[in-house]
Amino acid sequence: MTVEAPLLLSDDPLAPTPSRRLKLGISPRGVAIGAVVAVVAAVAGLAVPSIVNDLYWMGILVNGLLLAFMSLSVGFMAKHLGLISLGQTAFFGGSAYLVCIATSSWEWSPYQAVAFAILGTTAMALAMGVLVVRATGIGFMMLTLAMGQAIYQVVIQEWARDTTGSFDGVAANIGDQTFLGMGVSDLLDPTVFWNLGWIVLVAVTYLLWVAGRSRFGVILEGTRENTERMRFSGYNTFLPRLAAFVFSGFVAAVGGALYGLNSGYVSPELLNFLKAGDGIIAAIVGGLGVLLGPFVGAFLYVYAQAEFNNSGNLYLYTGIASVLVLVFLPGGIVGTISTLSRRLWSSRTGRKPQA
Amino acid sequence: MSLFRATSVSVRYGQLRALENVDIALEPGVVHGVIGPNGAGKSTFVDALSGRTRLTSGNVEFDGADITHRSVRWRRKAGISRSFQKTSVFNSMTVSQQLELVAHRNHERDLDGIVDALSLGPVMDRVCSEVAYGTQRSVDLAMALIGNPRVVLLDEPCAGLVHDESVNMLQHVRDLCRERGVGALLVEHDVDGVFRTCDVITVLNLGTVLCHGTPDEVRKDDAVIKAYLGSAA
Repeated sequence: MTVEAPLLLSDDPLAPTPSRRLKLGISPRGVAIGAVVAVVAAVAGLAVPSIVNDLYWMGILVNGLLLAFMSLSVGFMAKHLGLISLGQTAFFGGSAYLVCIATSSWEWSPYQAVAFAILGTTAMALAMGVLVVRATGIGFMMLTLAMGQAIYQVVIQEWARDTTGSFDGVAANIGDQTFLGMGVSDLLDPTVFWNLGWIVLVAVTYLLWVAGRSRFGVILEGTRENTERMRFSGYNTFLPRLAAFVFSGFVAAVGGALYGLNSGYVSPELLNFLKAGDGIIAAIVGGLGVLLGPFVGAFLYVYAQAEFNNSGNLYLYTGIASVLVLVFLPGGIVGTISTLSRRLWSSRTGRKPQA
Repeated sequence: MSLFRATSVSVRYGQLRALENVDIALEPGVVHGVIGPNGAGKSTFVDALSGRTRLTSGNVEFDGADITHRSVRWRRKAGISRSFQKTSVFNSMTVSQQLELVAHRNHERDLDGIVDALSLGPVMDRVCSEVAYGTQRSVDLAMALIGNPRVVLLDEPCAGLVHDESVNMLQHVRDLCRERGVGALLVEHDVDGVFRTCDVITVLNLGTVLCHGTPDEVRKDDAVIKAYLGSAA
């Protein structure tokens, strides 16, 4: 497709209709501009450890970063398929488990382990997706919940102890090997690990952004909004949904592999429904309607959890804070900010905001 | 050989006979009207021909090939499209986005032609849920016409339109079908509109064909007058 200047909107009905070329989705120029923004964000983020300069707070930030993969994967499906998955732990936790199992039991190198964890979990997302993406609404939620809990139940079985460690979990064993120049102590150190995690997180966010704005994203939007019309327009309505599900699983898998490297240990809590709840609440609090909602939400959520935990009443305060956000900022925190700024912009320029 | 032919089409829902042995044949450039009182089976008929509803018996042929069991997607790709009685558009997208979405899949080269014919130019950049209802009906029709379909099945394109809009809409339908050589099936509640627009008319009543012929023949048919048109004819 060719790059085109944006068409000017004219309110004059007598103005000649400008000649239109098909331009479904984002232009190559838009993709390039997004890439520049992503690179700038990635580089800027590398300054965080020297600005924060505190091990405790860096630990919190790394936790937020890892949770962001999960909430982004929940948010992508919510935004583009209109579906909430309660089972993203299967991919996040599954991938983290595979990293730990592969490096310890099978004595694979960390590179092999990470590649295997991401590919294996994504393949699992494909198999599960075939079964669940036809479902809608509550059905989808129940199926993903069942899937996630099934993985949890398998992992804690006594007969699986040799592989999964049952309730004890598994420790990674990287020994004196390195991953991208980082040894075990570097991976555990949040000030060092941050750089890797941040760059990957920005890259994944950029990929999600491009996917959402591409032709693929427009097709997903059409399918979400009017599946029947899409079929009657000649579109396959199954494959795009499946692709979105698998992509979302991939994002969670990447986060899970990073988690495995960073913590060096996994336990069944990682696969539990409560963990899925963290990702979902973070995504909703940040805002499901905007890409950066789940991203920012994850950091806010982890920060709030740390504060609430100090008070000794973690879940009570988490609940109250979530309710307050949902009642007073129904679009989530980032969603509300983006709506307000758009309104401000339109009142200053006197133009209707583009939807 | 007809472009599109349905033979002995029957649709039953349990004991309810929605359609019984209905035949129809569509020819290129001909607008074929289907009228009938409420419950005559008009919408079921469009659903059956478009692949939305399964036939209990009978078959559908397109270009000489049996397509009775072909999917909705297959039919659209082969050149059979439909519009909807209950407006079926993409509410949150702009008009141009959704037309481009459909055009992309169906390899339409002359989207401007359709946009101009249906006077959608001024609303192209508006979000569909914000444009007038009558315009949404035009968007629905436009999506059915994209990609040079050879057969279009129109399910009450004038539903909910006021008289002037209705006259305009049917005018568009007739012109577009003639210009493009499309075989059109026009199911419509507005009887006067159908008499004005169509070249051939089939009258349905209680799921069966009551009468079939040119507008003049149908207008004079005793059974039609008795069952449907009443004193208005």
